Amino acid sequence: MPSNPLQDGLRLEPTPGPTTLVIFGVTGDLTRRKLLPALYNLSKGQRLPARFSVVGVAREDMPDDGLRSIFSASLREFAGLKQEDEVARSLRERMYHVGGDFRDSSLYERLKTRLTEIDSGSGALFYLAIPPSVYQTVIEQLGAAGLSSQASDRQWRRVIVEKPFGTDLASARELNQIVHRHFAEDQVYRIDHYLGKETVQNLMVFRFANGMFEPIWNRRYIDHVQITAAETVGVERRANYYEGAGALRDMVQNHLMQLLALVAMEPPIAFTAESVRDRKMDALLAVQPLVDGNGNCNAVRAQYAKGWVAGAEVPGYRDEPGVNPESTTETYVALRMRLDSWRWAGVPFYLRTGKRLPKRTTEIAIQMRRPPLEIFKRVSPTPVAANLLIVNVQPDEGISIRFEAKIPGTRMQLAPVMMNFRYGSAFGGSVPEAYETLLLDAMLGDPTLFARHDFVEGSWALITPVHEKWAAEKVKVIPTYEAGEWGPHDADRLMPPDGPRWRTL
Amino acid sequence: MSELLPTGADVAFTEIEGTLLRGADARQSAGRALTGTVFAAGPAERLAEAAEAIEELKGIGVRAVLISQGDNPAPVPRVSNHVVALNGLRLEYLNNAVAALRLSSLPTLVWWRGNNIPNLPGLAQLVDRLVLDTEDPRDVWARVEELAQYTSVTDLRWTRLTRWRALMAHFFDIPEIRAALPDFRTLRIEGSDVHTLRLFAGWILSIVSSPDRLTFELIETKGTAPIERVLLGGAQELEIRLAPSRSCVVTSAQIRNLSAASRTVSLGAQDLCALLGEELRIRARDLAFERAVAASRTLS
Repeated sequence: MPSNPLQDGLRLEPTPGPTTLVIFGVTGDLTRRKLLPALYNLSKGQRLPARFSVVGVAREDMPDDGLRSIFSASLREFAGLKQEDEVARSLRERMYHVGGDFRDSSLYERLKTRLTEIDSGSGALFYLAIPPSVYQTVIEQLGAAGLSSQASDRQWRRVIVEKPFGTDLASARELNQIVHRHFAEDQVYRIDHYLGKETVQNLMVFRFANGMFEPIWNRRYIDHVQITAAETVGVERRANYYEGAGALRDMVQNHLMQLLALVAMEPPIAFTAESVRDRKMDALLAVQPLVDGNGNCNAVRAQYAKGWVAGAEVPGYRDEPGVNPESTTETYVALRMRLDSWRWAGVPFYLRTGKRLPKRTTEIAIQMRRPPLEIFKRVSPTPVAANLLIVNVQPDEGISIRFEAKIPGTRMQLAPVMMNFRYGSAFGGSVPEAYETLLLDAMLGDPTLFARHDFVEGSWALITPVHEKWAAEKVKVIPTYEAGEWGPHDADRLMPPDGPRWRTL
Repeated sequence: MSELLPTGADVAFTEIEGTLLRGADARQSAGRALTGTVFAAGPAERLAEAAEAIEELKGIGVRAVLISQGDNPAPVPRVSNHVVALNGLRLEYLNNAVAALRLSSLPTLVWWRGNNIPNLPGLAQLVDRLVLDTEDPRDVWARVEELAQYTSVTDLRWTRLTRWRALMAHFFDIPEIRAALPDFRTLRIEGSDVHTLRLFAGWILSIVSSPDRLTFELIETKGTAPIERVLLGGAQELEIRLAPSRSCVVTSAQIRNLSAASRTVSLGAQDLCALLGEELRIRARDLAFERAVAASRTLS
């Protein structure tokens, strides 16, 4: 069949072929908060295919109208749509529901029948918006029911797996093996919503589409890199999950490692999924173990104690509902990483993430080396600040560069100034939500922004020894930091005494 | 229209740069990344609505320049926030004004709302994108091939068709519909602007491999929407029509071996600011537009 001649010269980006999206866990939080609003926005932007349907799967048995009501409520609550418009109504009509126990094979037979009734010729994207404990069951049942088999190019079958993908190296390997028994790697989309953010994607453009940055992107010019993912919120309603996870599993293994890889990777030979993911994997392989042969650990953990955030008094982690009062789960972690590669030898990468910090922000700060000679030292009373390149991932996506400038006047006085680029204002139009980008990419069959199996395992291989060391310590308490502060003082010991300090954001 | 912008300082032409840099708005947005210059030019009576659209664009880092045509070889520019207005400029000097007021090293887009003028090729040589938007485009469309030698040329009518074209193309993503392409015999397009209808017809004409087998029916309506309905008919049928709300379109397909399907899709913002915003995001040469214009001229 020849390609579609009408696509030639179209301005809108390509739309996927006929697709049925099957959401496991359709009554859950993720679906209501993120997935359904993302589908509405994609539909509004004409990014969904002409033949598109949604099948919700949940334990609850309910008529199709039940799911349609969830969709309407989700748009009201999370997409700010006070009154349902024609786009929402049209999308609603193409939503169906199949309910039952995920362990019951008849559920999958009914799902299969439903998919055939709705659109036998379309591709099917299975989205696992369910607790990780059920991944294995659902994947095996999908395989057993023949729902992972691709009858033709048009009738593709893909699966999106949410984080966390495993809880340590062994479980991640086991999960990968189970997935690969039923789905080939090119059918598997391990989602990390950070990778759907514009700034994260722009990082590659910034590095590899500009001739001026890449030549200085190395140990000769860069002093160190700090990656911060700070949250103001506490554990909220996720205590059950978070108690077993902690900051290292929840944030570092996926989000921060992806950011690190994007900063540290070598240029891919082309912007193709495999080329990009190969280079990211290379960067990950260059990271040296966080626990050395002598048991020295380049990680610091802590837990928030009660304090003040955004003008409100908040309880300590152990006093949060659902949290074990004797919990040693870390809500903050700071790491020092060393990459043994030609480009990065001797350049430390500092990573930190925490809950109940003073500000919600995620950024990558690349500090350049100072000039070799401070020729303005005598005339300017203030010390010269190092040049800084800041990639703001959230909430205000953009890039800033800090450099020194002369303060106008008759004296030679220097001051740091910022040059800012902001996505929100530079190009106009709205920036798509990460889930919109990623859902669409999965429908289009583009895995560039998804984690490959080896990256997931490589990332777990780095942090699992840290967990093992912490577990072996068998401590009853871990260091604390006051809610509303920038983490524990212990984190400073990761920095050299006469070297840089953690940035106060 | 006495003034394009009600407030602002009268400044000499050569002092515009400084005035912009000293302006309160410029100070507030210090550090904002600039993305380019947008010129809106044409007869004064067509610039009032352009001024509103331009005003909305100032938040996205563009320098905007409004130029109304007149007899004055050197009108005093008025500067307000990030907008520069030149009232009553003689068109012979249009290119000088564009050359002087464009931001260097960044893209320049000219939104031309006037008629065919001799110095359009010169203007095209100065800018990165020329967006035509004339009331009767026949004369300027006849020059598209010439203008396209110098810059990327398009038309705001074409921008309005973006979503209509995408929806028509989406139909043909479905293999059964693609296979049915030779079965379509008539293309009926309805709307209030005959030039828009011709452009859409030209687009289809430039794509189909056997145009002789297709009969075109362009129906001018008394409505306000430039295009309201597209019906590709024959033994099988595809339809795109404006929904009663005017903000959405309803697409439907009646194709052999396919169950009849209909869906409602947003048309997206269609105001001038949104259309211009779309043009600002495009840098490449618009070959599909050039081919559509050329094909539309062959329609009887």
